[in-house]
Amino acid sequence: MSRIIRHLDQWRLGRTDLENHVIDELLGGRLDRRSFLRHGSRVGLSLAVMAAALKTTGLDPIGRAMAQTGKPGGTARIALIAPSGRIDPVTVADQYGLLVLQQVGDFLVLDGPDLVLKPMLATEWSPNDDGTVWTFKLRDDAKFHDGRTMTADDVVASIDRLADPANGSNALSAFKGVLSKGGAKKVDDHTVEFHLDAPNGNFPYYVSSDNYNAIILPADYSGDFETKMNATGPFILEKYTPKVGASFVRNPDYWGGAPLLDRVELSFYADQQPQVLALLGGQVDIVQQVTVQGSQSLFDNPAVEIIRLASNAHREIHMKCQSGPFADKRVRQAMALTLDRPRLVQGLFRGMAEVGNDSPFAPIFPSTDKTVEQRAKDIEKAKQLMGEAGTSGFDVTFTTMQIQELPALASLIKNAAAEIGINVTLKIEDSGAYYGDAVPGKSDWLDSEFGMTDYGHRGVPNVFLAAPLKSDGTWNAANFQNADYDKLASDYVAALDLDAQKEVAGKIQRLLLDETPIIYPYFYDYLTAASPNMKNVQPTAMGQIFLQTASVG
Amino acid sequence: METAAPAPAISKEHSTLGLLLRSPTFLTGAAIVLFWAFCAAFAPSFVPYDPLADDLLNTLAPPSAEHWFGTDQIGRDVFSRVLVGARDILTVAPLATLLGTALGTAVGLLMGYFGGWTDAIIGRLIEVMLSLPLIIVALMVLVALGPSTPTVVVVVGLVFTPLVARTVRAAVLSERHLDYVPAAAVRGEGWLHVMFVEILPNIWPPIIVETTVRLGYAIFTIASLSFLGFGVQPPSPDWGLAIAENYGVLVGGFWWTVVPATVATASLVVGVNLAAEGLQRALAE
Repeated sequence: MSRIIRHLDQWRLGRTDLENHVIDELLGGRLDRRSFLRHGSRVGLSLAVMAAALKTTGLDPIGRAMAQTGKPGGTARIALIAPSGRIDPVTVADQYGLLVLQQVGDFLVLDGPDLVLKPMLATEWSPNDDGTVWTFKLRDDAKFHDGRTMTADDVVASIDRLADPANGSNALSAFKGVLSKGGAKKVDDHTVEFHLDAPNGNFPYYVSSDNYNAIILPADYSGDFETKMNATGPFILEKYTPKVGASFVRNPDYWGGAPLLDRVELSFYADQQPQVLALLGGQVDIVQQVTVQGSQSLFDNPAVEIIRLASNAHREIHMKCQSGPFADKRVRQAMALTLDRPRLVQGLFRGMAEVGNDSPFAPIFPSTDKTVEQRAKDIEKAKQLMGEAGTSGFDVTFTTMQIQELPALASLIKNAAAEIGINVTLKIEDSGAYYGDAVPGKSDWLDSEFGMTDYGHRGVPNVFLAAPLKSDGTWNAANFQNADYDKLASDYVAALDLDAQKEVAGKIQRLLLDETPIIYPYFYDYLTAASPNMKNVQPTAMGQIFLQTASVG
Repeated sequence: METAAPAPAISKEHSTLGLLLRSPTFLTGAAIVLFWAFCAAFAPSFVPYDPLADDLLNTLAPPSAEHWFGTDQIGRDVFSRVLVGARDILTVAPLATLLGTALGTAVGLLMGYFGGWTDAIIGRLIEVMLSLPLIIVALMVLVALGPSTPTVVVVVGLVFTPLVARTVRAAVLSERHLDYVPAAAVRGEGWLHVMFVEILPNIWPPIIVETTVRLGYAIFTIASLSFLGFGVQPPSPDWGLAIAENYGVLVGGFWWTVVPATVATASLVVGVNLAAEGLQRALAE
């Protein structure tokens, strides 16, 4: 042990105070293995240092990351819903298009299946003292499919392209207020600095696979992605047919070692059912995402392996805070108290979800303050709160979308609300009608008094904290206006240190539990279905499927 | 002559009713429709469970002594839901049919009575409407206005209007040259009086048949709209909606969530069509 500690001490000599603080937290027992890996990787600790630190505490070191053990050859056939719109890294906005991007492209940083940041095209990264400038060192052996070597110019151009409002990139929702056009600067051929708009302790997530648009393209990319898909990824485009599918072949010059698979084939479907049938019938090997509701036949089926990833994907049930029957926070609290969350998790997800506590801090975020009391069903208290608010009940319309378990949950909410005299009329519409133009006055989502929206998984809660909850948030369907909250949310984003993040998170969690602008009933797991003869398939809760080390048979 | 005229009419009506009561086709159809009408009216008072009550610890349970048709995805009793589910379709479909028949009859009378330009213009408009698939027109309107029960009634009623109008027009054309029509005009009756008081009572048999046929189509159209998510809103136990909500779990072997509502819809459509067929034959005798 002493040798290991000495070894670790040597590693620690060259590290910043912030990095050493994270190691101290682990050694002091204040961080568990997973939180240490997530937090350490965020501030730029290398895997080698983290492994040494873990060994010191007697915890499992990092598992052999993506070891190639299978036999070479074969094809992985993946079923997914047809991506909407063109496949262009700048504009792709759904989890289907991102799967296409990710077969051919790489990110600076990988937010892997275990939610730990790992080097990809960047080998290391670190912030300055206040988190306003992050420096990334790049690999020097990554090549584009056309043979050119990737350099800092390509990285600067790729990230700038996404941050430039003129390009209308989908990544603007993440970069807004974080990184502006011109914020990415080349230091030398293999070093890039990001000068941020405001301090940000989680910036590496913004250029990781979490920000699925952020694959690195050649600096001279001109927008014709569908024809060549020239990037640095493990597979090279063979053929892409919109609405039908795509095929890829192994990239023999991949910087991470050539993949084992010869080919990857993506087949696009319109719905989940045919994908499930195709898997059961042996026409595909992997279904990108399955839901508990639509895939009952796959569970307990020995011919199918369900890969289950904890995620923070969730549903937000908003209640208008400024006007209408929910303007009094006691009514909102009462509504939240009618839901039996453990039963929802059991009944709707066969237990494959975590109970929510009316804030976006899902249990999987390391910064979540788990000492905050969990809200549980309490009809008596709910009725009492309604009485104190001077109402015995009212009529209200609940608006939501016709996707996945949302209509079922809407029916359950109607029944739950009836227990305290709230008479809910359901309005279930297709997602196009629900989102409308996504601006107030032209969107059932933003205009409805009481409604429900789905939110996908993110590596950090920053987007969940800003757009739907901040007073000027663009997705603030609850019309929540709270200056204290706005300040706390900004403090959270700026906090570099996990302790500081946790402290602010606790305050946010308590404030939201009291105000209850939004009910967060659960955070459901991301489920991918695969045939058991596929080995080493690595999905992420974002919808990516990493196949560099996958094999057949 | 004048006093004797009503007698054969009454006896014909009597004979029509007699024919109907002796028609196995009509009786079978009527029995099925009456069974569902009875369920629609009274099922909530005798079904074993509240059709809206969820039970998350007992979801997708197969048929058993406790739940005859099993439970659905949120643990609601399928048997209770199917019986009560007749209520929505048997309210919406007849209302839509009545609206379509009333409007169609009015338009058909106008076209047949006035003929000429009125007939030509409305006739071309009807052809344009008929050239568009019914369900697509209904979907477009529902997308624009947003789904709700009154909207479904109005939309389905409107898309049936041209079909009824065409039938009524043909019937009016065969009547308007009969002596009693010019006679009424000579008496100084207005055109509204002639159309609705003189002609209409003489063309009711084809209108009745058209109405029953339309009812069958209305049930099917409304069930389709519900299935596509543009009909009755959850948590109604409506059949089309039940199929839409549960067909996703069919692959998992949970057939009982879908089959009862499917059989119920099919039986009601068959029932209405059998009754229509029986009625048509009786009136043709």
